Amino acid sequence: MIPLLAVVRVDGPMRFRLWLPLFLLWILLLPFALVLLPFALLLVVARGAAAWSVMRSTFEILSGMRGTHVEVSAPGNSVFVHIW
Amino acid sequence: MNEHRRKILDMLAEGKISADEAERLLAALDRIPPAVSTTAAARPNPKYLRVVVDTDEGLVGDTTTKVNIRVPLQLLRAGVRLAGLIPMEARGHVNDALREKGIAFDISQLKPENLEALIAQINDLSVDIDHAKGQAKVKVFCE
Repeated sequence: MIPLLAVVRVDGPMRFRLWLPLFLLWILLLPFALVLLPFALLLVVARGAAAWSVMRSTFEILSGMRGTHVEVSAPGNSVFVHIW
Repeated sequence: MNEHRRKILDMLAEGKISADEAERLLAALDRIPPAVSTTAAARPNPKYLRVVVDTDEGLVGDTTTKVNIRVPLQLLRAGVRLAGLIPMEARGHVNDALREKGIAFDISQLKPENLEALIAQINDLSVDIDHAKGQAKVKVFCE
């Protein structure tokens, strides 16, 4: 399943906290995806299995990002990233 | 284990060993603990690769450096599969760029089966590092 929410938190000289509701982004991109779908199918027909493999792997990378957690803290700096 | 047991029984049937000797051998076989597979069969399929670095720099200051990274293995698998689709010519460029950065690595060696073997073998890798400022512990494991 594709990631739905991401949190990015940076503490240090530059400080910000960001909640990214990715599910809203996917909703916004859905019409574009529907428009691009015939072109993607044409690409698969033209280029064969390679194009299909690239698209499948790209989607797998996207869906595999769920559960990613990066937390690095050093004196005076910290970075926190979590993807749900 | 069953093969050894059968051999003992065959030797007994052929008269090469006595019943007492066969009994002792079978008893000895029972005392040997069953072979435990150290691969993924022994534990459930891991979902994440964890890297935990705990640095104690208390000798210099009162602060510590900590790294806690959890990467889904599905992401790694997909990345390796995608790397496998890179054309040979482009791989050469990537290898050259890596070499320029001091990383002597051939990305054509990055194969899904190699990743699976690596995941199966990473049980609980722990590295203790001593440096001038203090100590660090690096743990790499799958969970």
